[in-house]
Amino acid sequence: MPITLILRKQQFQLEGTLTVKQALEQLGLSPESHLVVRDGEMLNENEPLRNGEVVKLVPVISGG
Amino acid sequence: MSTMFCQKCDQRAAIRMRQHRLMFCRDHYLEWFVEQTQRTIERYHMFTLADRLLLAVSGGKDSLALWDVLWRLGYSVDGMYINLGIDGEEHYSNESEQYCRTFAEERGLSLQVVNVKQSFGQTVPELARLRHRSRSKPCSACGMAKRHIMNQAARDGGYDVLLTAHNLDDEVAVLFANTLSWNVDGLNRQSPVLEARDGFVRKAKPFCRFYERETAAYTLLRGIEYIEEECPFATGSKQIIYKEILNKLEEEHPGIKLHYYVSFLKARQQQVFQPGAAEKVSELELRPCPSCGQPTTNQGLCAFCTLVSKAQATK
Repeated sequence: MPITLILRKQQFQLEGTLTVKQALEQLGLSPESHLVVRDGEMLNENEPLRNGEVVKLVPVISGG
Repeated sequence: MSTMFCQKCDQRAAIRMRQHRLMFCRDHYLEWFVEQTQRTIERYHMFTLADRLLLAVSGGKDSLALWDVLWRLGYSVDGMYINLGIDGEEHYSNESEQYCRTFAEERGLSLQVVNVKQSFGQTVPELARLRHRSRSKPCSACGMAKRHIMNQAARDGGYDVLLTAHNLDDEVAVLFANTLSWNVDGLNRQSPVLEARDGFVRKAKPFCRFYERETAAYTLLRGIEYIEEECPFATGSKQIIYKEILNKLEEEHPGIKLHYYVSFLKARQQQVFQPGAAEKVSELELRPCPSCGQPTTNQGLCAFCTLVSKAQATK
């Protein structure tokens, strides 16, 4: 089971053990523009993500 | 993959802020954030505990975070939500209003709601179509309507200061746009505080030194429910593109956004930007709108009342 990352209505999957920062990099997302939450807990950029985990990506940029 | 710890205790860090060289656990981050807001309020002499404050809330992370912080700091602050009548996939305006209502009810705070359709006969997207028939986005009409309604509500309610939750990313995106076009009048108007004058209520932006990532982190860590959906008209907006560009720079050079803003404020204080022609005219020719009484440079009705009367005429 890969890592599942949910960003609004999109879902991404990554394999292996990665830090939050590495996962965002692999998805081409800026760590300045996204926060990562696992089981309601906000994760710092060095936190490891492992296969089978589901995390939510919270976009922080807004505006019109 | 080394573990990051809070700099104030031995807990796991929830957030790292490279621009400040700080890492905090949840509790110390929340404490730091509230303290920093108070420091910004004092740094720019925004308001005191004796002032009556009106905060424009949108149901988004920034405005609800600001309301929460000011409430915790003991300020006398009411909220105002403007229902713009923006629909989108999930009834954007109505959902946003509900987040504001729930937030206020849970804390026993006072929320004033202005529904544009009910008050002025048309939604903001409908008003915008009357103004610019060829344009698909109502953003400039929306901004104009919000500024008008917020100032009117602050005047009518006798509030001392009107607050908005603009964060540093909002500020640097505007600064970037004004710099790209050398909009000197825009640069002169951009400030953490705009003093009251000629019918305009004093305005302040207590979050102007927080990164958007920091306000979002506060909202998440505090457990504040907010509308995560973006305004359907914001997709592809220039402001978002500028924010993305500035965040790319920030990734490579932590602190560059803060430096850009702070050094701009310093230059502005040193009067580097001389007032342009447009600003001089507006200062000389402000007069009250015969319909709403708000200041305008128009000979007759202000821009908002002109739009509303146009809408009423087409009915």
